[in-house]
Amino acid sequence: MSQFIQTVATGLSMGSVYAVIALAIVLIYRSTGVVNFAQGEMAMFSTFIAWSMIVYFGAWSLPLNLNYWLPFFLAMLVAAFIGAAVERVILRPVEEAPIINSVIVTLGLFTLFNTVAIWRYGGIAKPFPSPSFFHGSALRAGPIVISRLNIGVFCMSVLIMLILYLFLNYTKLGLAMRAAAENRMACRMVGIPASRMLTLGWALSAAVGAVAGMLVAPIIFLSASMMFATLIFAFAAAVLGGLQSLPGAIVGGLLLGIIQNMAGTYIGSEIDITSAFVVIVLVLLVRPTGLLGRRVVRKV
Amino acid sequence: MARALPRPSVSGLILLLVVVAIFPYLYTWPFFSAFLNPFRTFQATRFGLWLIILLGLNLLTGYSGQISLGHAALVAVGAYVAAVLMNQGFLGQDVPVWAAVLAAGLFTGALGFLLGAPALRLSGPYLAIATLAMVIALPQVLKLDSVSLGGHEIHVHMARWTGGVQGLLLDRPKAPESLKDLVNERQWLYYEVMVPAVIMTAMAWNLTRSRIGRAFIALRDTEVAAEHMGVNLALYKMTAFALSGLFAGVGGGLFAYNEAFISPDSFETIKSITMVVAVVLGGLASITGTVFGALFMAFQNEIVDSLSGLIRHIPSLSALQGYIPTTQSDFEKLRGAFYSIPLMLFIIFAPGGVAGLIRRVGYSAPTWWQGWRSRVAGWASAVKPARQRAEPDADAGVEGRQDPEEKTQD
Repeated sequence: MSQFIQTVATGLSMGSVYAVIALAIVLIYRSTGVVNFAQGEMAMFSTFIAWSMIVYFGAWSLPLNLNYWLPFFLAMLVAAFIGAAVERVILRPVEEAPIINSVIVTLGLFTLFNTVAIWRYGGIAKPFPSPSFFHGSALRAGPIVISRLNIGVFCMSVLIMLILYLFLNYTKLGLAMRAAAENRMACRMVGIPASRMLTLGWALSAAVGAVAGMLVAPIIFLSASMMFATLIFAFAAAVLGGLQSLPGAIVGGLLLGIIQNMAGTYIGSEIDITSAFVVIVLVLLVRPTGLLGRRVVRKV
Repeated sequence: MARALPRPSVSGLILLLVVVAIFPYLYTWPFFSAFLNPFRTFQATRFGLWLIILLGLNLLTGYSGQISLGHAALVAVGAYVAAVLMNQGFLGQDVPVWAAVLAAGLFTGALGFLLGAPALRLSGPYLAIATLAMVIALPQVLKLDSVSLGGHEIHVHMARWTGGVQGLLLDRPKAPESLKDLVNERQWLYYEVMVPAVIMTAMAWNLTRSRIGRAFIALRDTEVAAEHMGVNLALYKMTAFALSGLFAGVGGGLFAYNEAFISPDSFETIKSITMVVAVVLGGLASITGTVFGALFMAFQNEIVDSLSGLIRHIPSLSALQGYIPTTQSDFEKLRGAFYSIPLMLFIIFAPGGVAGLIRRVGYSAPTWWQGWRSRVAGWASAVKPARQRAEPDADAGVEGRQDPEEKTQD
């Protein structure tokens, strides 16, 4: 039993990272109908930016652990800017084209961010700091051991989800963004600048992605390829939960983390990815639009 | 609506076939030896392989509208089936190459048909992820030997067939003894790939103009309308998957034969995604476009090299050294950027791929040709005043025919 709980706990912490990236993917998909394959690489790139700022600020002695938090928020800002620029410059022209064209454009972005990161920062993995309250000895509850890093990642993810939830449901801007995702034409009629909302959606999603990148980097080290596996799982998580649904992304991410860890513990680590995907395909067969997705009715 | 591609004339097709037939010998001729060599034959062989594989993908994604990011998984199945048959034989009998490749095609086609069933319920991004899952899970499955479930060891012995991580090594293909003086190994390989490639291209070409092809296009455009026209959605979608599996299986079998070595790493996720990129670059729902897609797959390294070489030779850039890539090693590291930036630009400015570009140019060429011809006719009429009166009428007729067509294009 204790092994079971241990597996679930570890799965939850990895799953929360998937959930955050999945949130970023869903944010973009809902507003623009684009499945952003470059999400993970954008997150990786912003994490590298955060890293170089941390190295830069490391020389100063700042109070309140600002050596970490200042770069953290600056990197989020930069990421938001990159996200907005990408939407405006690169994705706007393919908005009307078939879905597969925008998929290929984001695949191009994927390669672009990846190679530029390798060129700029080299191919060697770098250690990335985590906030000081993540450090220290692991927590014990009976036979179960959970590292503080895992708990910290989980808590941070929950915090992000909470902020996003409050923002989208209880602010005017959030309402406008949801409206723009729902019906662009009606939005323009009531005076919401719909296309600006789309740009904002990309910016927000890139910032969320950046946070996810900075959360995983202490666990798996900072390198240009660090987000690839995470991205695939985040996709799977988003699809599992239903690409339209923000709570779905969270549920999907946490579930996927648990399934992957369970399969690794009880079946064998050489088959964990396969079994995770088998579960996803099975779920999709029963509910083709994910666990919490809605069926879209199309007219001829 | 999309305009039909300008069709090659019969004589053009025959000329093309002749060139394909004598291509591996062309480099021995005086004029062609300047730019052809045996390595080009090797590249042309790869082009043939990719052509078969991409045709299958285009039938599925371009014609039937089912986005598949997992085509490499089907190719891998075909490659492994053919390799196992060629290595271990069937029921103690040696299997000739053509039979192994054909068996691989049929097996993968059947598998594709079965995979089509779950795909019926999925669409768009959901289908894309489900198919991507296939190709991601594939290496783990190929390396699998035993699974422990609830404390019990279940032996699957997959690795015994597939060779596990090491992969499978095949005999290098050889030309038959009787033809030894005529063809060398590379030329023989070229024919062994190119003959199926030509046959399957013709097959795909005919298929898209048949009842099945029309049904694919109908269900891609609107499923409900297609159903009302009497298209059996489930059957035709599964048929699309089966056909794409057939092409992938034959392509995969020939791939294994051509490379003489396969391992789980031969079919990476990135390669699977690159296939979709190539199909879109060439042009969805177009056989001519697929040819360009296959050219892209076979020559992408050369294309990237020449692009980065072009930029390296702009002299003013060296002033910015340190801020932008200028040195040799920078360009080596930034290969991916020289691949992705033109890719994005191309998709943005030519969403229909190469086939779409040809369609556009092919449309405007006659107008240009007409204008040029009427000018020549004008000069001619200046020389021969007797025909002067007939000319303006002919021009008006031409313009009158062009105008409504231009409106329908908008």
